[in-house]
Amino acid sequence: MILKALRSRGARKFRQNRLAMFALGVISVYGVVALLVALGGIRLEETFERVSRNSIPGAWGSQTSEKRVNDAEEYLEEIESALDNEEHLEYRFAERKLVDLPVEELVERVEESWEIWDELADVSNVDEHPELLVKLDEVEERIDALFAPLEGVDGWMYAFRTYLGTDRQGRSITVRAVYSIKLAIQVGFIVALAATLLGTLLGAAAGFFGGWIDGLVIWLYSTFSAIPVLIMLMVLVTIFIDTPYEGTLVPLYVSMMLTFWIGPCRVIRGEVLKLKELEYVQAATSIGFGRFYILVKHLIPNTSHLMFINFSLLFIGAIKNEVILTFLNLGVKNQPSWGTMINQSRQEVINGFFWQIGAATALMFGLVWAFNIVSDALQDSFDPKHVS
Amino acid sequence: MSLIRVDNMVKHFPVRGGVLNRIVGKVHAVNGVSFRIDEGEVLGVVGESGCGKSTLGKLIIRLIESTSGEVHYDGTEITHLGHNDMLPFRRRMQIVFQDPYSSLNPRLTVNALLKEAIVFHSIVPPSEVESHIDKLMAKVGLRPDQKNRFPHEFSGGQRQRIGIARALALNPDFIVADEPVSALDVSIQAQVLNLMMDLKDELGLTLLFISHDLKVIEHFCDRVLVMYLGYVVEEMNCLDIHGEARHPYTQALLGANPVNDPDEDRELTVLEGDVPSPFSPPKGCPFVTRCPLVESRCHEEMPPLVEKTKGHRVACWAVE
Repeated sequence: MILKALRSRGARKFRQNRLAMFALGVISVYGVVALLVALGGIRLEETFERVSRNSIPGAWGSQTSEKRVNDAEEYLEEIESALDNEEHLEYRFAERKLVDLPVEELVERVEESWEIWDELADVSNVDEHPELLVKLDEVEERIDALFAPLEGVDGWMYAFRTYLGTDRQGRSITVRAVYSIKLAIQVGFIVALAATLLGTLLGAAAGFFGGWIDGLVIWLYSTFSAIPVLIMLMVLVTIFIDTPYEGTLVPLYVSMMLTFWIGPCRVIRGEVLKLKELEYVQAATSIGFGRFYILVKHLIPNTSHLMFINFSLLFIGAIKNEVILTFLNLGVKNQPSWGTMINQSRQEVINGFFWQIGAATALMFGLVWAFNIVSDALQDSFDPKHVS
Repeated sequence: MSLIRVDNMVKHFPVRGGVLNRIVGKVHAVNGVSFRIDEGEVLGVVGESGCGKSTLGKLIIRLIESTSGEVHYDGTEITHLGHNDMLPFRRRMQIVFQDPYSSLNPRLTVNALLKEAIVFHSIVPPSEVESHIDKLMAKVGLRPDQKNRFPHEFSGGQRQRIGIARALALNPDFIVADEPVSALDVSIQAQVLNLMMDLKDELGLTLLFISHDLKVIEHFCDRVLVMYLGYVVEEMNCLDIHGEARHPYTQALLGANPVNDPDEDRELTVLEGDVPSPFSPPKGCPFVTRCPLVESRCHEEMPPLVEKTKGHRVACWAVE
């Protein structure tokens, strides 16, 4: 059946849509990344590890000299206290250890660095003195030289982790944003699948059996769709507060499934109302098949294109609403999500630091954009009567 | 011995409306139709669109539930049987539809749709299902190796053959052919009609053949019912149709039929206006609004269907 669907006219039309194929490629990349993360490519603990100084910008960003001076001071203080307490062998800064030199040598190097730093410390506008900027560069180079050089894979990993900078706790924005892809796709997939199935079953039953079942389903979805989606979601999520499920994904799944089934339900009900009058359904009745068999075997499979379209629409909805709820502190806790990241970046944005909110929204935009293009193309190819 | 006896069949479709979705009226689709079909006979039903001929066919095999009236199939009254009691009769009565495009599930291969029916009714032992399907395909003039194709891979005529194969899959005695050729090209119509005729002779089928085309009816049927607005207005043998048709509506239908000879001098009865709405049929005779022979009694009373000569029943006050 899947093979047949791939060979159908709709599929051909879809394949001819270049933008849609590109978007499908983008989705595949996201999917592969999510799969790699899920298979252990990025562990949850890694998203909480410090990788560098707090709030450093990404690879192509620049920071104020004031912050650079402060960061240098913090580095030197930490290293100095480690040396004083003879803990320098255990000292790590984000997996980087100090170079393998005698303690005296290290102390001396730190002293030298302090000397240069002192010249910078009391100047309020380092930027205006080119000769001081040179000194600042020198201090940073000396500090870097205090650490064992990162080579090979470690070097690549460090570059990857600091590529988009760090947040206010020195955690890698790259790692957190990429880890969130897995969360987004997981939420999107499970919610879209569950809501589409629920909506299809209710819609198909309503359309096919009519009578009180139809009345009940119509009443339910009219009532549900009268409530704004976000308010509905917030209320449903709130029910889980103070239960063991608070902060996990369960409230998100349940609330979104109970809210999103309306879309597929309405569409599938209409399609089944149309299909059930067709003659092949009458032929099945005249053979003597039961009504339930006819519904499952002859009607629901013929609504699969609509299920497909609704699935991809709900996928986007689920991702967006997960982010919104998490931003409002009603969603996931204790693990990174684009929503958490955007929430955390509120303070940073005031200070002119856009790396965290930028990374989260850019990755979310990419996925949602690609899914939007694909849903549109699916609709154009498989459901030409639908005007949206 | 008649295989099917239909007594006073009535079907009114309720029309709902208003704020409370109350029944505000009804469409009189079939109004008290009675007839018999003998075993091995082909009974034609002819009439304009909307006269209730398809509804009548579906009422007999219970695709639609009747408002009142009885159908006796081989001596058993079947209109009130439950689903399970009805199953043996479902097997014996099948239907071929008009539109070969909507009558086949696009997601089932020919093999799957035939197998489904055969297995459900255990027509043959499981080991013989495949060969039974091959035989059916050959019977309707399709190659057995085409059975794994989907309906969209066939032409209209081939699809109609698949529809016929599906009806025959259950070895029925009686088939309702609901305008089986009107959606086909003329060249294909003849093929499919000849196929049905051959199958009828070969398998001894009884048929209710619904059509709006008198020529097809003449070619194919033994007896014909002429329907108008849910009533049978005339019933006669097909052989009599040209010389003996008595009802003014039947004569108008015959007149509307083109003739091969352009020089033939024919008396044409051209009907004015449209069929009245079955939602509010006229009082008295249904044909009263268009009848050339209308008289005062026609407005008051529906003429009964009475036997004028043997095997020829007419419902008209003007016909003696």
